[in-house]
Amino acid sequence: MIGREDVFDPPSFFAQRYGLEISSMAKTLERALARGGDFAELFVEYSLHSAVTVEEGAVRDTEESVGLGAGVRVIRGERTGYAYTNDLRFPSLQDAARTASTIVAAGNHGTGLADLRLSAPRLRLYEPESSSVFAGLEEKVQLCLRAHDAAAGLDSRIRNVRVSFSEGLRVVLIANSEGRMVFDARPLVRLDVSAVAEKNGSRNAGYHGDGGRVGLEFFREAQRPEEIGRRAAEEALILLGAADPPAGEMPVVLAPGESGTMIHEAVGHLLEADANRKKQSIFWDKMGQVVASELVTIFDDPTLPRLRGSYQVDDEGTEPVKTLLIERGRLCGYLTDLLSARVLRMEANGHGRRQSYAHVPIPRMSNTYLAAGEHDPQEIIASVRKGLYAVSYQGGQVEDTGKFTFSLRLAYLIEDGKLTRPVRQATLIGSNMDILRNIEMVGNDLRFGRQTGTCGKEGQSVPVSDGTPTVKIRRMTVGGRV
Amino acid sequence: MSREREETLVRRLVELGRKLGADDVEVQLAVSTEFEVEVRQGEIEKLIQADSRGISLRVTKQHRVSLTSTNEFDPNTLERLVEKAVRRAELATEDPYSGPPEEFGSPVEPESLDLFDPSLAELMPEAKIKMARETERIGLALDSRISNSLGAWMSTVISSYWFANSRGVEHHFVSSLASLGLGLQAGDTDHRVEQYWWSTARHLEDLESPEVVARKAVQRTVRELNPRKLKTMRAAVIFEPRMTAQLLSFLASCVNGMLVYRGRSFLAGRLGDFVFGSNITVMDDGLLPRGLGSSPCDTEGVASRKMTVVESGVLRSYLLNAYSARRLGLKTTGHASGQGVAPHNFYLKPEEASPEEIVRSTEKGLLLTRTLGHGTNPVTGEISKGAYGLWIEKGEIAYPVSEITISGTLAEWLSRVDAIGNDLEFGSPIGGPTIRVQDVVIAGR
Repeated sequence: MIGREDVFDPPSFFAQRYGLEISSMAKTLERALARGGDFAELFVEYSLHSAVTVEEGAVRDTEESVGLGAGVRVIRGERTGYAYTNDLRFPSLQDAARTASTIVAAGNHGTGLADLRLSAPRLRLYEPESSSVFAGLEEKVQLCLRAHDAAAGLDSRIRNVRVSFSEGLRVVLIANSEGRMVFDARPLVRLDVSAVAEKNGSRNAGYHGDGGRVGLEFFREAQRPEEIGRRAAEEALILLGAADPPAGEMPVVLAPGESGTMIHEAVGHLLEADANRKKQSIFWDKMGQVVASELVTIFDDPTLPRLRGSYQVDDEGTEPVKTLLIERGRLCGYLTDLLSARVLRMEANGHGRRQSYAHVPIPRMSNTYLAAGEHDPQEIIASVRKGLYAVSYQGGQVEDTGKFTFSLRLAYLIEDGKLTRPVRQATLIGSNMDILRNIEMVGNDLRFGRQTGTCGKEGQSVPVSDGTPTVKIRRMTVGGRV
Repeated sequence: MSREREETLVRRLVELGRKLGADDVEVQLAVSTEFEVEVRQGEIEKLIQADSRGISLRVTKQHRVSLTSTNEFDPNTLERLVEKAVRRAELATEDPYSGPPEEFGSPVEPESLDLFDPSLAELMPEAKIKMARETERIGLALDSRISNSLGAWMSTVISSYWFANSRGVEHHFVSSLASLGLGLQAGDTDHRVEQYWWSTARHLEDLESPEVVARKAVQRTVRELNPRKLKTMRAAVIFEPRMTAQLLSFLASCVNGMLVYRGRSFLAGRLGDFVFGSNITVMDDGLLPRGLGSSPCDTEGVASRKMTVVESGVLRSYLLNAYSARRLGLKTTGHASGQGVAPHNFYLKPEEASPEEIVRSTEKGLLLTRTLGHGTNPVTGEISKGAYGLWIEKGEIAYPVSEITISGTLAEWLSRVDAIGNDLEFGSPIGGPTIRVQDVVIAGR
């Protein structure tokens, strides 16, 4: 198992534990470029994950998993060859390098290789040495039980309460043919509660959770587990009395925090550079153009301390930078990885991410948010005669054409400028350009949503977070039942 | 790894767990060879190849459970993990419902399921690359309205799976899987539509040819061009087979024993009740030859079977593993998958009508071709999704529609099915034929 001290020196950890010396990494890169190619990279990963599940007051089970693997990548033009293995011994890495190199046609000359120079990450965004994976499971069991009791004890209508604590530590070591060699050790933790409320045979479930790239100290703060439990139970109770949503076009106000998922889906995905390099995104030909209301400024920032989407180097070893995507309505940036940056002749801004060694890095979001505006949130709600206030989300989906859908777990009706009845299971649909242009008011209350989000793209899941202030959209289509 | 080494490893872990104090040990080992190529605009975009492996372990001690998984196979690490697993089990609360099943059924010979195609295992990378290239080439050439490719792909996985527990149950089988697909865009940047089509099969000869995949992808993309928005209304909705499968996938989660015992499904407590229309029969068949969801056993070593989930509208069975079965006072149905439950080949029984007849006999309605979003809630059975489709008038396709939503509940919809097609298709382990549902809420303008 990995030790606390290993997070400061992953190269020694991999060398001592698996015999992976710098010289064999260099030889692997050399083998990868033996047929030629523009770039080669070795990505080595060790991960530890554990979880505790509590249900109905009982500890259901505990879980531990160890992930170990390495991937070799060779790029030639826009072509990528990739091979991975769970065996870090030299012959297996050589095999993987040979396999990845087949992306380059036979008969080419080998490409030269810079000497590997190891550097530690410059950014310090989290403390892997304080990762909860180094602490015993007993305290985590207690956190779960506290959250459970807070939810179950809130109201006699609360039935099934399920709590899970899940933690991970991911150590990556990246070496490439340009001589860059860097590592990162990323802690990640979350506590989730789901509660069912029942009355007269009708049931509904509420959720809450929180976490981030933090240690157990996060949950030791003032009643944090209790608060997560209570809020899950409260949502279940509200949903129990919630009405069917209205259907049709109406103004929609996005609640701060959770609604960041809307910015993530409706805008963020289409600004990932791969979809633009391939001319698939609706934004590919709009750089520098006005694409949104001038109230709209959007950033993606992997360098925010302790947030779920943050990292000290990305999964290609690039130091990430806070990236401005849309400034006062004008499109001004894409999220790039090394390949798309080279093809598009842009800077690599550190957004090449992958789920694990078994995946090729692709441009991804980290922590995406809409910058604060000037309106008082109360004033925004008061400006709507009849509309919907979107509070919590089940998920969203977008396609490259800009068409998207959001499933709302909980929303409120706005009637004559006031929040009135709760409604459940509404769907918001639209196309992103319409929504961006129809943003009428932006609040001064920017917040990040709960730190539990995971984003899926091309079969790869990565942790992300997003945020937004209160936002008013002039009109959206609400899919409801009445 | 050789077959013998795999077998030895699995048995050794079972013995080790027992020796270290576990009452029960269950071990799974999967070893696979993966290949994936993606082609875009005639060039290889991505070529991924790998040999991967993983072990997972469930240990039970005095009705307390712990779970472990690893793809580090170093003997010292494995020993340490098993040791910790036995110790960790003590952290759990004693739970009389936990632990392996008591009965394992009688398994079929793995060979009878025909899950492994040697010709797929032998297919050279060059041949697979050619298939992906060919698919994209045909797709881009068939129709001038096609404006961009989202890429064509061909992937194969060859897997060897082992199960062994401390009660002497052992299983081993080899399987293959291939997928050939294409995504396309049509129209100019600001009025684009996009669609995918793919074929998935256990055997190479069952995989749709590049020509067929390309034609379907093109036809499904261009027919969405120049969509209109509908007014908010109630109308008949015809579900294409893969849309029916999506609905069935939601049903599969509502009959998932793990959700049922927690009261997190609207179908909890409804066994024996009329829950849908009398024309609805849903089967789950773990023994379908070459089936995408077929296997000789589940992940607890229980033999797979064919069973009726819904019989003429009456709920007959949930999908159960050992734990959920005990909680509900029932017997496992052999649907354990990891710590949860998953269907094998789960499908709505087809009838006689052709999909064309169903469209022709529809006065007004929506032919649903695609949905977007996650709007299903098993607790209430509610559904609300973004929808794409073709508007039908007088039995003819009139125009495409988009930016609408459809909503209702699974119980309502499956009680209002008035036509079931003969075109059962499996794009995944969950399949369905074309169906028509009356009186669905469509929200639009």
